[in-house]
Amino acid sequence: MTTISSTSTSTFYTTAAEQLASLQQQVSAVNNSISSGTQFTAASDNPEAAAQMRMMQLQDATATVDTASANKATSNLQLADSAMTQMVNDINQAKTLTTQAANGTLSDSQRATIGTQLSQIQKDLLSLANSRDSNGNALFGGGVSGNAYSLDAAGNAVYGGTSTSQTLAIGDGQTVQTSLTGPEVLSMTDASGNATNVIDSIGALATALKAGGSAAQTAAQNGLTSLSNGLDAVTTAQTVIGSRESWITLNTQNLTAQSTARATAESQVGDTDVSKAAIKLQQLTTALQASQACFVKMSSLSLFSVIGN
Amino acid sequence: MTSNLLSIAASGARAAEIALDLTGQNISNASTDGYVRRSANNVEVASASSWSTANDVSLSGVTVSGIVRNADSFLQSEARRTASDTAQATSTVSGLTNVETAVENSGVFTAIGTFTNSLTTLAQNPTDNSARATVIQAASTMTSAFNIAAQGLSATQTGLQGEVTNGVSQINTLGTQLAAINTQLSATSGASSINSDVTTSDRASLMDKRDSLLDQISQYANIATTIQADGSANVNIGGVSGPPLVTGTSTNTLTATTNSDGTESLAVGNAAVTLGGGSIAGNQAALTKLNQIGTNLDSLASSIATTVNTQQASGSDLTGTTGAALFSGTTAATLTMTTSNGSAIATAAGGSAAKSADTTNLTALTSALTTLDPAGTMNAILTDISGSVSSATTTKTTLQTLSSAAASSLSAQAGVDLNTEAVNLVKYQQAFQASAKVMQTASDIFTSMLNLH
Repeated sequence: MTTISSTSTSTFYTTAAEQLASLQQQVSAVNNSISSGTQFTAASDNPEAAAQMRMMQLQDATATVDTASANKATSNLQLADSAMTQMVNDINQAKTLTTQAANGTLSDSQRATIGTQLSQIQKDLLSLANSRDSNGNALFGGGVSGNAYSLDAAGNAVYGGTSTSQTLAIGDGQTVQTSLTGPEVLSMTDASGNATNVIDSIGALATALKAGGSAAQTAAQNGLTSLSNGLDAVTTAQTVIGSRESWITLNTQNLTAQSTARATAESQVGDTDVSKAAIKLQQLTTALQASQACFVKMSSLSLFSVIGN
Repeated sequence: MTSNLLSIAASGARAAEIALDLTGQNISNASTDGYVRRSANNVEVASASSWSTANDVSLSGVTVSGIVRNADSFLQSEARRTASDTAQATSTVSGLTNVETAVENSGVFTAIGTFTNSLTTLAQNPTDNSARATVIQAASTMTSAFNIAAQGLSATQTGLQGEVTNGVSQINTLGTQLAAINTQLSATSGASSINSDVTTSDRASLMDKRDSLLDQISQYANIATTIQADGSANVNIGGVSGPPLVTGTSTNTLTATTNSDGTESLAVGNAAVTLGGGSIAGNQAALTKLNQIGTNLDSLASSIATTVNTQQASGSDLTGTTGAALFSGTTAATLTMTTSNGSAIATAAGGSAAKSADTTNLTALTSALTTLDPAGTMNAILTDISGSVSSATTTKTTLQTLSSAAASSLSAQAGVDLNTEAVNLVKYQQAFQASAKVMQTASDIFTSMLNLH
């Protein structure tokens, strides 16, 4: 009764329009990814890759902060290192002076002069112990912003800082203490086995030398042992600082290696593979041109243009 | 006998003329939406002879018994169903894309990262005012980002709710129009309901309108239709088991209600409607996802505020007093900073003196935030929504292929092909010319009879 034609005229046109539009859209997407340099413009283009990219970019930002923290820690450790080198010099000088004072041929007045010099060294050590870090806070005071040590009424150095020094996160969950506390550097035992610190020990020695008499020579001889103990304490602490510095260097190298690896991964996940995209573009434009040509040919195939009389 | 031949030829010419008219009509409506190709149903006329004898030859030509509307109801309902599915997928994708844009463009993820990094930077120099100001700035950017995301979601929600309301009112309007068409179809059914394929030209055009209305309704919601013997259509909304929207000439009103969580529920009277297709179903799906994303964002904002505020309370700020809450508000929309003063950040351990460079509390805050992992949660939220968009897009592409295939096969069966019409034009023109020739012959025969001597 009725003829079923292969397709209706309006379907031919709508289908052709849809197909051409779809190709056009794909061409534009490839073009977009080439010109922007990124594989996806919205996260929904590739949710997993977008999530990976977000986290990697966050890690990049965190790595920048971690590197800054590592630099900060290094600079504080270097400040501590050089302060301690000065301390070692001072103690060595005190040792030289004390060796002279231990000599039996010296007069009381000569010992008193050495005592005065030792007092100067004591003051110097106190000011070194109160060095500032790169933020202007006490370098050996843990978390206090003022001085680490102050002298009490009896002239003894009293530690006023906190019990641990500050830590900084330097990436990958690693932390480092950016300095040492005063007691960690200066605590020692004197010749008689009493706990004291280097500053007080030199102070006591200076007082004894200034007092003169036979006790002064004995004090000088004992003082040599005490000073050796003090030197040990400071140099040991300096070794700790040195090992922390090299630990940071190692960690920074690790962070750099990770950043490089991340940059490669980011490029693989997010960047356009230009040569692949260019080939796809060529393929799509060829298909688009062919479809356009085909449409023009097909649409001119109307029976009406033939049966006209 | 010759008068018979003349009237036979006349009937042939008339039939050819009607067929030519129909061809013209088809060609004119080749691009009309919803137009179904017509053809003439020709029936041979054999009248009873005057002698009423068996084996008598009595021919009376041809008559057009009616118009055939070449619509296959199976293909039509298939095209309608798949189009409804595609409309749902399309509106789901567009709604979800808006949600994705709102959440992604707000920059919450980046802002969270900047905030946590600024805290790490503060640890490098806890008493530094500019480092503290940077933290406050980063925190305030983060709250703004949450606010912007919430505003974007709220605007998207309003838009989607508007689309649902609009769709519902369209359905009601279309339902009323369909009832009017149904009325006319029942009124004109009397003479020609013998064969549903053959009908009058008026009814054919009413049926075109009816089918077009059904197509339009199914763009908004999936429907089940039953075509009655008189040609009128009954519509159940939300599928066969759904409540009736149009029954014969009467209509029911579809209503949309906004729930407290911002999603939309539909009902006809007291009967709830669950849609399985159409753009409204897509809007509803997008609203549900939007609500979930909004809840996730709120709980993230609230957890950040709680973590920071709790840790603040156990530390000392730069002035040596116990830290006060930095954030207020428990939702993404209401999250705000309570201070713009950098010294309010409690970096030192509780009970520390003013200007303490201690970072005990700051370290505890950083590690609490690391445990909370707000950036990871935000990343999961973003992946959730972008994954939903991506899978909805894939579904849409598949459904589009199905619906365009269904539309093609319907169109191949019911649409106008100009080449076929060109052939018909030639065919019926020749038929008309042939009938005219028969008339000429009848006239010649009559003349020769008159000329008998």
